[in-house]
Amino acid sequence: MLPFAHRAGIARIEGEALATRKEMSDFLASVERRAFKQSVYAVHDEEAALDIVQDAMLRLAEKYPERPPEELPLLFQRILQNAIRDYFRRSKVRSTWTTLLSAMGLGGEDEDGDPLETMEILDEANVSASPASQLEQSQVMATIEEAVQSLPERQREAFMLRYWEELDVSETAKVMGCSEGSVKTHCSRATHALAKILKSKGISL
Amino acid sequence: MKEKEFGDKIKPWLDRAAAGVGEMQATRLKSARLRAMDAYREPVRLLGLVTVNAGMAQTLRYSVLQRALLFVPVLALLAVLAVRSLEPAEPDVGELAELDALLLTQELPPDAFLDKDFRSWLRKSQR
Repeated sequence: MLPFAHRAGIARIEGEALATRKEMSDFLASVERRAFKQSVYAVHDEEAALDIVQDAMLRLAEKYPERPPEELPLLFQRILQNAIRDYFRRSKVRSTWTTLLSAMGLGGEDEDGDPLETMEILDEANVSASPASQLEQSQVMATIEEAVQSLPERQREAFMLRYWEELDVSETAKVMGCSEGSVKTHCSRATHALAKILKSKGISL
Repeated sequence: MKEKEFGDKIKPWLDRAAAGVGEMQATRLKSARLRAMDAYREPVRLLGLVTVNAGMAQTLRYSVLQRALLFVPVLALLAVLAVRSLEPAEPDVGELAELDALLLTQELPPDAFLDKDFRSWLRKSQR
């Protein structure tokens, strides 16, 4: 099991191999896409997800350069999950104010936005050039992504950390700030919910 | 189906989804990473014992320097006192005054100091 990085620690005793500049950069390069996808699944907004990943990477590089490389994955996950939670908190506050202002007739006229902006743009070249099997695979992938996005926040978080980031139960519990029992419950529920959704769509893995 | 088994089957699909991130998003992620690396500072070793991040080292260095500056006047005073204590002792003021008085009263002619014998006698008598 990897040692868990405590935020309180400011100095490292010599003898531990520290992450070099290259190791830090390579680590960030290896996780950036997965972190982006995790954030998209959580917040359902690519722009916000990019901001979240950027904040998480910046915080890791700026605040924790003295950590050994083996601690980086866990530390980064904790920072990322905190950033996602911060986003939800800010959104909650913002929506409260927006609701209040709308009720007072002071704003909210453009809330619906331009429907054209929210339309998904198909990559026509990719679609037309794809053979039937690739199309089928992309549909399966899209269904899985939709199913993951539809999970409740904590279940999705637990599932992603356990089965995508491959953290063990104890590490997942530390990142999520809950008990190991809760992690197991969230994972179990997430797995059953996903299996049910995929089965209902006729997808068998 | 067991949970772990199911999770293992989902993982490659998620990996594929991550690998298929759009070009624009990939470029923005790369630029975010480079920005993060701009903020990265190599850890600094203190006294060869502990390693802290560069910001912490800067703070420590500043506070140590600031405290050291407060001790500069005290150290200067101690140095002066030490140098003074190492200097050879000056002749007793009382003896010099007595000789001056003898010279003034002409009991001791000034030429006596030109006499080598008198000077050696004077030295011996001081002992």
